[in-house]
Formats: sequence, structure tokens, C-alpha cells
Amino acid sequence: MMVVAVEIEAMEVAVPAIMGGGGKVTASVYYLIFVSFDFLRLEQLFWCSVQLVQELILEPEPLSALSAEYQSGSPVLQEKIKVLGEIYAAIRRTRGDGNCFFRCFMFSYLEYILESQDKAEVDRITANVEQCKKTLQSLGYADFTFEDFFALFLEQLESVLQGNETSISHDELVRRSRDQSVSDYVVMFFRFVTSGEIRRRSEFFEPFILGLSSTTVEQFCKTSVEPMGEESDHVHITALSDALGVPIRVMYLDRSSCDSNGVSVNHHDFIPAVSDLQGTTKSDSDLVKPFITLLYRPGHYDILYAK
Amino acid sequence: MQASRARLFKEYKEVQREKTADPDIQLVCDDTNIFKWTALIKGPSETPYEGGVFQLAFAVPEQYPLQPPQVRFLTKIFHPNVHFKTGEICLDILKNAWSPAWTLQSVCRAIIALMAHPEPDSPLNCDSGNLLRSGDLRGYQSMARMYTRLAAMPKKG
Repeated sequence: MMVVAVEIEAMEVAVPAIMGGGGKVTASVYYLIFVSFDFLRLEQLFWCSVQLVQELILEPEPLSALSAEYQSGSPVLQEKIKVLGEIYAAIRRTRGDGNCFFRCFMFSYLEYILESQDKAEVDRITANVEQCKKTLQSLGYADFTFEDFFALFLEQLESVLQGNETSISHDELVRRSRDQSVSDYVVMFFRFVTSGEIRRRSEFFEPFILGLSSTTVEQFCKTSVEPMGEESDHVHITALSDALGVPIRVMYLDRSSCDSNGVSVNHHDFIPAVSDLQGTTKSDSDLVKPFITLLYRPGHYDILYAK
Repeated sequence: MQASRARLFKEYKEVQREKTADPDIQLVCDDTNIFKWTALIKGPSETPYEGGVFQLAFAVPEQYPLQPPQVRFLTKIFHPNVHFKTGEICLDILKNAWSPAWTLQSVCRAIIALMAHPEPDSPLNCDSGNLLRSGDLRGYQSMARMYTRLAAMPKKG
């Protein structure tokens, strides 16, 4: 007997609520032809295969959605989620495609600017972006290799500020963050910035990189920072936070439990090293309070929203 | 699509401007399609490819530069990381290590470097890879040199 499968149609449909909702799936309709040699008979039937393709950025969910996920899991994790639930109201998941840290950072940062309309912060980061551009130029990158990515980020930054012709709503920000042609370009912008910062301060980063991958700093940037889909580590987060001057808080949801004084959730604040250039202009204490909080579970980052 | 076209146009201008900068690479865009390029690269010296000129074909995807160009040898070449029949190239930067920091020009440079430093442990051409892995450098070099003469050098007379 022989089976022939012919894909006759592939379509994108919304994820049914029963599968979690909020995403898109690719449904393929196959035409299966069974050819039986015994009876020289042809049997035909349709076959529908559904493949789940998660959105790049999902809708926020209450933290209870997270505890539901671990209902039958480790008690340490369940306890930690309870502790998180006291401070955080919601989680916004992102696709686990290796770009999740950068994607989380992008959405969180732009959303913060959209909601706060913090013009001073926009001016500050714009100056840092200009500095990052100079860093790449001095490292020998040709302008045309990175300028499109820089321009696209600055465009997004400008459009979340209200009152211009190009201003966008929160819905539009979500839509753009899901549109690969915008979202991936911004992710790539962050990868360039991160790579430039690591190479600019290679002496500082070298010991960490040797510990991670035993390669040279340059090799690390070429293979683990610049290519899309390469996951981010402490080194990446430190470099991005420093280069753009944006503090980031990461909450760690892992099985490590410290002691008998009850369960606590480890976190790490990435506070930008005060660069020589910016040091004099801004030293407010509110600068060191992270407004971006990410949830780290081994291998993945999502966004957390404080209560 | 628009973004890739704009980027390729910048690369085109850069190639025109720097035409003499790298005498080992001659990169040409198709007259009618900016997504199709060909390159002529010189075999690196002190390798069995020395003296040969090799033609590469580039097919650039619409998602360029987020996705790498597809590159293959049009000229027959005996090399562990190049498929003997199709000319397909096994090189990390053309696959998972690709990033937009690379350009068509720097891809050519990387391919020249690969010609000089074959990686016999990830072979597309097993015969060639096996010769190197078994330590038969002479066998590999004479085969590679023979194909360079047959395929990559102008015919005499």
C-alpha cells in the first residue's frame, strides 16, 4: 500500500480559545490518497494538520495563569509564583525564538514611553543611540550595514510620543511588535548595540565571555550576539543596559531555594554603568529604578507588570 | 521587500565605489534583478586554487539582510565544504551564524578564507574531506589543483 499526501491549502487562523487563544495557527489541509495494490483501489480522504505558531508578543495574562501552569509542578516554583503574585499583576508572554529577551525589552521600553510620555528619557536614549552608532563606526562597521536598523528603532521611539502626525496607539504598538518586518528589525538594532558595547569594552567583558564559551570577544559577538535567534545571557543584558543607559530588573523563577526563612524570588537589577559622557548630565536617583521587569525562566524571558 | 531592495542598492553603490579596493573579488549585480548577483573570486595564493578564477552565484531572499543570501559555486571546485555537483557551500555564516553585519562583499571574503582553510570535519564533499582527514594532504592538493586547472583557468590555445 502506498500513501500520497498532497498539501492543498495552508491558511492562518486565530487560535481557538480551547488552545489558549491569542495566537495564530497555520492550518494545513492535506489530501491523502491511499493506493492499495491488493484491490487496485483508490481511497481518498482529507487530513487536517494544525501547527501552532505563537505570536511574537501575546496579550497580558493575570499571574494566576502562571500558577496554573505549575499546578502539578515543583512546590518551590508554586511558592515563588505566590511571592511574585504579591508584587506583580500580570505577565505578557513572548515567543521563545531566541530573541525573547530583546523582544521583551523592545516592547517594555516602548510601552513605558507610550504610557509615561517621558520626553526627557527619549532625549537621553537618543543621545545614547547616537553614541552607539559612533561606537560601531569606530569598530569598522560600514554604515549601511546597521543604519536601517537604527533608523527603524528611532522611528518607533518617535511614534510612541503622542501629538505628532506619526503617533501611534497602544494597539498599534502591539501590532507592530507582532509584525516581523518591524519587530525583527528592532531586535536586530539591539543586537548591533549590544555587540558594539561588548567589543568597545572588551577588556571588561572578556572574563565573562571566556567563562561562557571560551572564545574571543570578537568571535562571541559574531556567533552569539549578532545572529538572530541566538539566546541572551547575563553578558548581553549587561551590555545592552549599559549602552542604552536603561536599567532592567530580572526576576528569576527557578528551582533554587535558598534557606529556611521561607521562599523568596531572586532578582537581579542591571543598573547601567555611569558612562563618562552621561555622568555629569543626569544623576537622579530615579534613573536607577528599573521600569522594565522581566521574568526569567531557564531559557526564556517574559514581561512582568507591577501592581 | 522594500527594505531588502534599499539595502542591496546601498551595497551596489558601495561595490561601485570600492571597485579597486579588493582586486580578488569582482561582484556584479544582474542588469534586471537586484536580487541576483554573481561574483568572480581569485583562488587564494599558496593553495591548490591559486591561479584559478571561480564564479559564484548569489540568490538574495526578500528577507535580506535578516536572512542570508544563498551562494553557490558555478565553477567546479574540489573542496571539502563545497558540494561537488551542486556547488552548495557549507559555511556557518551562510546559515545560523548569519547576521546583517555581513555583506555580499564580506561573504566573498569569507568564502576565499574557507578556500584557504577547509574544514574537513563538516564535509559536503566526502572524498575531499576524507583525503584531508586521513592526512593525505598531497592527494587532496593534487585533486584540487587538477580541478582548478580544468575548470577555473582559461583554456590554452
